[in-house]
Amino acid sequence: MPAFFLIVMALVAFYLGYRFYSRYLAEKVYALDPNFRTPAHEMRDGVDFVPTHKHVLLGHHFTSVAGAAPIVGPAIAVYWGWLPALAWVILGTIFAAGVHDLGSIVVSARNRGQNIGTLSGKVISARASTLFLLIIFFLLTLVNAVFGVVMAILFESNPGAVIPALIVIPIAVFIGQWAYRLGRSIIIPSIVGLLLLYIAIPIGQAYPIEVDGLASAIGLEVRTTWILLIFAYTWIASRLPVWILLQPRDYINGQQLIVALFVIFLGVLVGWDTVSAPAVNEVSADSPHWFPYLFITVACGAISGFHSLVASGTTSKQLDKEPEARFVGYGGALGEGALALAAILACTAGLGAAGEWNTAYADFGAASGGALGHFVTGTGHFLSNLGIPATLGATFAAVVVITFAGTTMDTGIRLQRYILAEISELAGFKALSGRVNLLTTLAVLIPLGLALVPGGDDAGGKGFAFGRLWTLFGTTNQLTAGLALSVIAVWVLARNRNPLAAIVPLVFLLFMTTWALLLNLVDFFQKGDWLLLAMDAAIFVLAAWLIVEAVTALNRQRGARDPAAADR
Amino acid sequence: MITACRTDRPEASAGAVTTHQVILVREQDAQHSGSGCCGRLGARDSALGGAADFSHSRARMERIGAVYRDLAAAAPELDLIVADPRNLLWLYPTVWRAARRRGLGWAATIRSMARAGAPMAVVCDGDTLYSGRLPATDTVVARVLERIAQD
Repeated sequence: MPAFFLIVMALVAFYLGYRFYSRYLAEKVYALDPNFRTPAHEMRDGVDFVPTHKHVLLGHHFTSVAGAAPIVGPAIAVYWGWLPALAWVILGTIFAAGVHDLGSIVVSARNRGQNIGTLSGKVISARASTLFLLIIFFLLTLVNAVFGVVMAILFESNPGAVIPALIVIPIAVFIGQWAYRLGRSIIIPSIVGLLLLYIAIPIGQAYPIEVDGLASAIGLEVRTTWILLIFAYTWIASRLPVWILLQPRDYINGQQLIVALFVIFLGVLVGWDTVSAPAVNEVSADSPHWFPYLFITVACGAISGFHSLVASGTTSKQLDKEPEARFVGYGGALGEGALALAAILACTAGLGAAGEWNTAYADFGAASGGALGHFVTGTGHFLSNLGIPATLGATFAAVVVITFAGTTMDTGIRLQRYILAEISELAGFKALSGRVNLLTTLAVLIPLGLALVPGGDDAGGKGFAFGRLWTLFGTTNQLTAGLALSVIAVWVLARNRNPLAAIVPLVFLLFMTTWALLLNLVDFFQKGDWLLLAMDAAIFVLAAWLIVEAVTALNRQRGARDPAAADR
Repeated sequence: MITACRTDRPEASAGAVTTHQVILVREQDAQHSGSGCCGRLGARDSALGGAADFSHSRARMERIGAVYRDLAAAAPELDLIVADPRNLLWLYPTVWRAARRRGLGWAATIRSMARAGAPMAVVCDGDTLYSGRLPATDTVVARVLERIAQD
C-alpha cells in the first residue's frame, strides 16, 4: 500500500475527530461558553495573563508540547505492525489526547489558570498533589535514562552525527550571547546556526567520531562509554544558566521540528513509497504482546500526561475566548499525532523492502534497541526522494533526535533536581535541598544507574534493557495523563455533565498501565531484574493509589451533585 | 487592514474593528521546544519549578507587560498581540503580511521580519519599531501612537 494512503487515512480521521468529536466535547462535555470571562481577561496584566489570538496560542502550545518521545514510541510500536500502531495513534489522539489536552486547558481556565498539580490537590484530594510529585519523579528518572540511551545508540550507530550534534553547542552559546547579552535580534543568527548545523552534517559524515579507542582504554563497551559521556555533559549543561545553552537551543529545535516534518511528508509524497511492514506482525511468543504493551509503548503521540502541564501552565492563562480552547488544545493534540504519524511512516515505508523490514524488526529487542536507527534510516530514505543522499538524510534525522533528546535531558535533570530538593524538604532533609551540586549529581546518578541496567533485550546484544525501560517510561507518562483525566472527569461530573468522554480513556489507560505493570513484575521477577522489579513495583503502587483516588473522588462527586453547578 | 479587535471591552467583543495591529514580542519565561512531551522547564505556577531560571525572560515579560497595559489604556481599539519570538510559524508570516499590506518594500519587509525575531520587540502594522532593547515605556507608547496617527 502506498504510504501516502496512510497519511490520507490519518488526516481524514483527524479532520473528522476535530470536526465532530471535538465539537461534541466543546458543546456537551465542557460546555465552552463564549461569554465566560477567561483568566486572560479577568486577570489581564500583559505579562502572564494576556488574551491571545488562537493561532498565536496554537503555535505556542504545539511547539511547547512537541518533543522526541512521539518519534521513539511509534518507532518501537510498529513492531506489532503498522495497523495497531497507526490505529492507536489515531484513536488515542482523537479520543484520549484531544479530551485530555482540551480538558486540561478548560479546567485550568475555569480555575483562574491554576496548574494541574494544584488542581489535582484541589479537585481530587490533598494527597493527590503528593501523588503527582511522585509520578513526576519516576517519569523524569525514566525520561533521563531512556534519552541517555537513545543518544548513545544514535552516536554509536551514526558516528557521522557526532560533529553536527557537538556543533550545536557553540552555535547555541553564540546565539545566547548575541541575543541576551547584546540584546540583538535572534532569528537571523538562529537561521545561520541551522545552516551551519546542516553544513556540519557532510563534515560529520567525512569525519565520523567514534569512541572505540576510549572505550577499550577504560575497559567499557562503546555504548556504555557514550552513556557516561552524555550524562557527564548533562551534568554540566544543567548547571549552566538557561540563557547560555538551553534557551537558544529552543530556536534551533523549533526550526528543526518544522523542517523535519516538512521533508518527511514531502519525501513520502514525492517518492510514493509503499509500506513494507505488515499490517499486523506475527510476533514470537516470548515477545511482549501488543495488548497491553502497545498502549504504553506509544504514550506521547497518542496521549501524553505532560501536555496537561503545558496546557495548565501557560496556555490557559492566554486563552482569549473559552471556545478557542477547542482549536488550541485539540489542535495541539492533532499536531503531536502528526509527528507520531511521521515516525510510523519512516519506520514502515522508509526502511525499504519487506525483507529489510523483517530483519530490522526481527524481535522486540531489535525493534526497541534499533527503533531510532530505523527512524533515522527511514527518514534518510524519504530525503533521498528529494535528491539528498540517504546517508546525509539519515544523519540529518539523527541530529534532530539527538538535539531533541539532549534538550530533554538537560530539562529533565534540572526538573529532577528541583523535585529532589522538594522531596528532601518534605522528608526533613533540609540541608540537602540547598546543595545544588549534590542534588544535580543525584539527579544524574539515578537515571544513569537505570540506563546501565543490564537486560540484553536490545539490538546487537549490548546488554541494556532499553525496551523495558521505555515501557516503564510509558507507564509513568500514562499515569500523569490518568491523573489529569481524573481531575477533568471529576470537574465535568461536578457540573452535571456526562463525564464518559474523560472516564473511558481514563479507565482504558489505567487498565492497560496496571496490566502492563503486572506483566512486567512477573517478567522482571523471573529474569531476576531486581532493580527494574523495584521500580515497576513502586510505579504499580502509584497506579493503585491513583485508581483509589480517582474512584473515591468520582464517587464523592456523584453523591454531591449540585443541580445549580451546570452553569459554573 | 481590518482585523478583529482583541481588547476585553464589551463593545469591542461585540464586533468592533480596528485598523492597527501592534505585536509585542517577548519570550515566555519557559522552555519552548524540544522536550515538551516529557519535561518542560519554567513558567511561573507551572507545577514543576524552574521559573527562577528564566528571571531574565521574566524581566522582559514585565517590561513588555507595562507597554501592553499603557497601550491598551491609551488606544483600546488597537489589535494588541503578545507573541513569543520562538513561535516561528505564526510570527514571521504575520509580520510579512502586515508589512506588505502597509506597503513596505521587499528589503524593508525582510529587515522588519529579521528585527521582529528578538527576545523583545515592538512591531506596528508590520514595521518593527524596536528590537532587542526598549526605551522607557512612555517613549515606546508615544512612538506607537505617533506611528498610528501618521496613517
